[in-house]
Amino acid sequence: MFGITRRTLIALSASAAIATSLPAAAADDIVIGGSIPLTGVFAFAGIGIEAGMQDYIKILNEAGGIQGRKVRLAYEDTGYKVDASVAVFNKLTSQDEIHLYYGDSTGFAKTINGELDRLGSIMMAGASFATELNDPKAFPHQFMAGPDYSEMTGILLEYIAKEKPGAKIVLVNSDTEFGRDPIAATKARAGELGLEVVEEIITPPTAVDVSTEVLKLRRARPDYTIFHGYVLAPLPEFMSQAKQLGLETKFMGTFWSMDSSIWAKVGEAADGFMGVMPYRYYYDEAGDAPMLDRIREMRPEYQSTPYMQGFLTAMLFTEAAKRTLEAGKELNGTNLKAALNSIENFDTGGIIGVPISIPGNSIPVGRIYRYDASAQKMQPASDWISVQE
Amino acid sequence: MSDLLFFTEVTLAGLGSGALLALTALAFVLIYKATRVINLAVGEMLMLGGYLFFAFAAGLGLPAFAAIPLAVAGGGLVGAIVERGLIRPMLGENPISVFMVTIGLGSVLVGLVELVWGTDPRALPAFMGTTPVFIGEAYVSRKIAIAFVVAAVVIAVFLTLFRFWRGGVALRATATDQAAAYSCGINVPGVFSLAWIVGCGTAAGAGVLLGSIGGISPAMGVFGLSALVVVIVGGLDSVAGALVGGLVIGLIEAWAGTYLGGEYKLVTTFGLLLVALMIRPYGLFGTTEIERL
Repeated sequence: MFGITRRTLIALSASAAIATSLPAAAADDIVIGGSIPLTGVFAFAGIGIEAGMQDYIKILNEAGGIQGRKVRLAYEDTGYKVDASVAVFNKLTSQDEIHLYYGDSTGFAKTINGELDRLGSIMMAGASFATELNDPKAFPHQFMAGPDYSEMTGILLEYIAKEKPGAKIVLVNSDTEFGRDPIAATKARAGELGLEVVEEIITPPTAVDVSTEVLKLRRARPDYTIFHGYVLAPLPEFMSQAKQLGLETKFMGTFWSMDSSIWAKVGEAADGFMGVMPYRYYYDEAGDAPMLDRIREMRPEYQSTPYMQGFLTAMLFTEAAKRTLEAGKELNGTNLKAALNSIENFDTGGIIGVPISIPGNSIPVGRIYRYDASAQKMQPASDWISVQE
Repeated sequence: MSDLLFFTEVTLAGLGSGALLALTALAFVLIYKATRVINLAVGEMLMLGGYLFFAFAAGLGLPAFAAIPLAVAGGGLVGAIVERGLIRPMLGENPISVFMVTIGLGSVLVGLVELVWGTDPRALPAFMGTTPVFIGEAYVSRKIAIAFVVAAVVIAVFLTLFRFWRGGVALRATATDQAAAYSCGINVPGVFSLAWIVGCGTAAGAGVLLGSIGGISPAMGVFGLSALVVVIVGGLDSVAGALVGGLVIGLIEAWAGTYLGGEYKLVTTFGLLLVALMIRPYGLFGTTEIERL
């Protein structure tokens, strides 16, 4: 006998059953790797990002994939910790042949950059819009599916300069790498546009109570207050205390604090909050946005702004892969990035309201939206603004 | 606006946020005082309190006067379960092991909250009103003023209970000498349970106050770390120390944040912690002999 006991036989047949029940992964699949935060402080974003990427990949695969090759997302949770993201990167890239990768933070993007350069086989994008990453020389294999943080505040300033020339502005930033990112660029750009930054308020990352900061805001009496480096807290408290004090200032934010379902939970106090968004909202019924119709068909319930970010990132990843393969070139970091940079006047199916070009590492386009508490929706407050130089 | 008025407003805001710290610190103190366990999951108990209030007030639509006691009771119930299920079997074990159990408990609570309520940050239903409070000419945020009053009342009640109530005296006796307390007929395991119930209930209550100011999210438990500084400065086993430590740190943070800049808040707080530990390693009001971890 071969020494196979009945128990071994059962175990073998069980594992065979499990193996055959897994979705078949073909050898020529194009695999997008992902270090995605599904738990931890950034989980709300990671969950949306994953859903958005999966949906775009599903649409693409149903339409035949890329030159007949299916696209697949291989990802793991990172808890938004750089060391975990790196571990996931190492694991996934050793399991599959990966040429496209989604990273979850600025810290990870910077940490892994040397490895991307060394490998030369991967192009990466991710959840970070850090200004520092928008440098094709220092980060040749990376890009971001939207404007960098300085470009975001630049878009806000363009809007302010048009609405109220010479306006007084207060900048409120969290004391994190994320929060401090655009401060210098915002001040410089405000000066160029004839706007006056009258106060800078920095809040510690764990800040909950902002009473002292509101007192500073009252002293400065700004026309506009720009927040950056937050998702939600402490913005509602700032706004409700400012309202109690009768301050007239308009509050603005950047991409990660612009999700409308999060503001819907705040209620009346959220009314009038403005900010910059690179993408259209889920419920936008603009005639030139067939991709939004498709998303609503697939998912009848509201999808978050991180969902749109993931969706567009997957679209750009696969567009770059398609262009590379069509040119008969090998899938690697340099060729994929060159293909991405060849994107000009590209129609995103209405995810972004204007045709986009990606000459560098970012897409410096956005639109100002204002939250309408009665409709529980973000409504457009401007046309699409490009800060492309 | 005069500089003096501005200074007064900043000071009042500092005292208010200090009171919130003091209330959270009280949860550490109550449990440590009776059981000699540093419960690092206090931050997560606080978060759970915020979510329980959210569930009762927003989910079931209960009015605040019913939802708040239910959230506090829910926190106490979880405290009782944790004490009976996790902490009591660890009696007599190395304090580090118990300490590690509370760290694990914190992670479990975060995971459970993420599973039940998801990961989005949320705002709590407003229940404190919006009319601003003025003391003389000085503006105080209404929520912070309420938090201050609540913290002051709760701490005063605890100070009184420890001084005069039999249960409070039993708790102090247990803290001083467990064997002697046993021999006097004190139900020591009962005291342990009581301390966890009351401590976790207090943390849950602080969570409701904190959540009504800053909203709730699974990550809001980090606030517990700021309160840990308070108890280390004030003394791990001193209720009065939690109050004084909380107010002092609240004030220093407010002044540093206003006059030096927000980036100096934490530097100043932790700088103060180092100085306090060098001068009085057992805290301003703590018992001289304390365990070091």
